[in-house]
Amino acid sequence: MQTDELISLMATSSQPVDTGWLRRITWLAAFLAMIGTTLAVLLTLGARRDLAAAWASAPVLGKVLLGASVAGIAVAVFQRSLRPGLSPRGHLSLILLPITAVMLWAVVVLARAPAGEWANLTFGRSWQACLISVVLYGLIPFAAMIAIARRGAPVDLRLTGAAAGVASAALATIAYSVHCPEDTIPFIASWYPLAMGLMAAVGALAFPRFVRW
Amino acid sequence: MSLADLETQLRPVFLSALAGDASAYRVFLEAISLRLRGYLRHQLARAGRTEPSETEDVLQETLLALHLSRHSYDPASPVTAWAHAIARYKLVDHLRRSGRHASNLPIDDEAYQLAAPDMPASDARLDLARALQSLPERTRTLIDRVKVQGCSVAEAASAAGMTETAAKVAIHRGLRAMARLLTKRRAL
Repeated sequence: MQTDELISLMATSSQPVDTGWLRRITWLAAFLAMIGTTLAVLLTLGARRDLAAAWASAPVLGKVLLGASVAGIAVAVFQRSLRPGLSPRGHLSLILLPITAVMLWAVVVLARAPAGEWANLTFGRSWQACLISVVLYGLIPFAAMIAIARRGAPVDLRLTGAAAGVASAALATIAYSVHCPEDTIPFIASWYPLAMGLMAAVGALAFPRFVRW
Repeated sequence: MSLADLETQLRPVFLSALAGDASAYRVFLEAISLRLRGYLRHQLARAGRTEPSETEDVLQETLLALHLSRHSYDPASPVTAWAHAIARYKLVDHLRRSGRHASNLPIDDEAYQLAAPDMPASDARLDLARALQSLPERTRTLIDRVKVQGCSVAEAASAAGMTETAAKVAIHRGLRAMARLLTKRRAL
């Protein structure tokens, strides 16, 4: 086939194109994945016993706020990374703002507590459970983002993967907050960001393999 | 023509094409393929590939990718940057699959800023033709009528007993299947 034949074939058969679809579907999928992941946590682990009383407390809201702000930034970068020619690579580092904020808050909390309490405040009783859960439940939004990335045109698959990984862990952070019984800021500032980092690495490694187009 | 001039010229044309103007789309595709052919030939030569048919193959794969990824264009961004990013992705993919390690690909990221010389088209190898052969009979006939016999889509559609929209959808699916096949082909 000659190139000019290909061009006339594409031109004559072309139809109007909606350039907003990718944005709408990405945000819709992120929202639905968050709801779905929360339901999965409720069905498999159950809510924390005191959820009715605790949901508006500072630590729970802190987890939700951390998750929501990181997810918002990462989903935006993810969506833009599906559009060739935009280079949103630098914008992913904006997630360091909310993460740094919660870490500073944790330092303040630790500074006010006696040194003997530090390990307790940081490790709690369930740091392994938190880490494993956020990563595992994060696979639900992660799968949704792989499906969307295949419908876009990601030219920097490591970036798209890292953003998808961070966004997934952040959405899972929101979901897991209905179960997680740990209410100390040093705990939140350690294990949730670590889970996000792990998922970012998983995404950066997985996407170049699974989302080639 | 400088990249900025090309952008000024092509952006409104491409926006009309996205709104459904087929003749604007043809103008865009012709202008961008001239540009991309020069870019790809230059980059392939740097990688030691001087066969013109190889340039034409990567160009066709890139044009197919542009066509199938039109929805990924952000209307607020430069269309030439969008097209070059896709061409670069397809070029890297092509070089990697045909036996180079990603780490030492000699891609010059700034090269597309230079005015690329207009190159005459050359014959492609048979990659796209082979992909076409793998399509279902009905789609292939439709594509053949439009492509070789120069029918309009409406004529080809009525000959096949389908509506024009159904024919466009069938051709679109055919092009997507061809692109998928080209991506898979050199994967192993």
